Amino acid sequence: MLDHVTDLTPITALGAASPRTESFGALTISENAGLGLASLALRKGQSAPQPFGLPLPCVGKAVSMGAYAAFWTGRDQWMIEATGKAEVDFAAMLKSEAPECSVTEQTDGFTAFEIASSQGAAPIEALMRKLVNIDPKAFGPGQATRTGLEHMTVFLIRRADDRLAVIGMRTLAGSLWHALAVAARRLED
Amino acid sequence: MLIPHPLLGLRDSQEFTYLGDASLMQRPDASLDNAEAAFCDYVFLRDNPAGVHRELWFHEQGDRSWLVVTRDTTTHEILGAELASDVKGAAK
Repeated sequence: MLDHVTDLTPITALGAASPRTESFGALTISENAGLGLASLALRKGQSAPQPFGLPLPCVGKAVSMGAYAAFWTGRDQWMIEATGKAEVDFAAMLKSEAPECSVTEQTDGFTAFEIASSQGAAPIEALMRKLVNIDPKAFGPGQATRTGLEHMTVFLIRRADDRLAVIGMRTLAGSLWHALAVAARRLED
Repeated sequence: MLIPHPLLGLRDSQEFTYLGDASLMQRPDASLDNAEAAFCDYVFLRDNPAGVHRELWFHEQGDRSWLVVTRDTTTHEILGAELASDVKGAAK
């Protein structure tokens, strides 16, 4: 009976065996299927820990250090990102770094799309102007926020001048990809 | 319409959901003798001012904070916004 379990094929949030990547002019959108996510919240009166050595960022900011990164999601709350940790129990790793805090696994709830520009900041900012009501000029490298994008809620992280991550709800991965891809394609004209 | 979020700056009002009169934060004491009448008023009675009104807004597509937004109901001008947790803390 157990033999059948080994026949299962893991698929990404977009339903394929391998992550999707597509280019539209200067912009390339890539599904980041390997990203492990867990949220960390302080309980009343606690001070912020430094999980994996990360100094947890203040309001609206993101930090990264090697394979780990963190962005602010609310008062005394952060999302912690770990490259290549989607298939391990990353929440347990984070909990052992910050045993006093509230930690919740988030990898299965979200999907991350990484947008890279081959022509600097301008194409990233043009895409933001089409999709979200956030001032791209005030949203430079190291900024992170949550906002609405075509009626979906997303986290935006400006990883660099020419890189933007969009993290949305996993069940809406197809719709989110469609929204990003259509906007990027229209910028090509 | 933009809401001046105390932490995040000006944000699109579409990111928020509206709850109602900020006096909802003053829940009656359930242990008092007149609790039933007080809760009846709390649930059903609202002032409906033409002018400045303090109301609860939830930053749902944002940092999930509750705000007390002061709005002029005749012009829809937003006069200010505070974190509800700060308002509650200051009242204690």
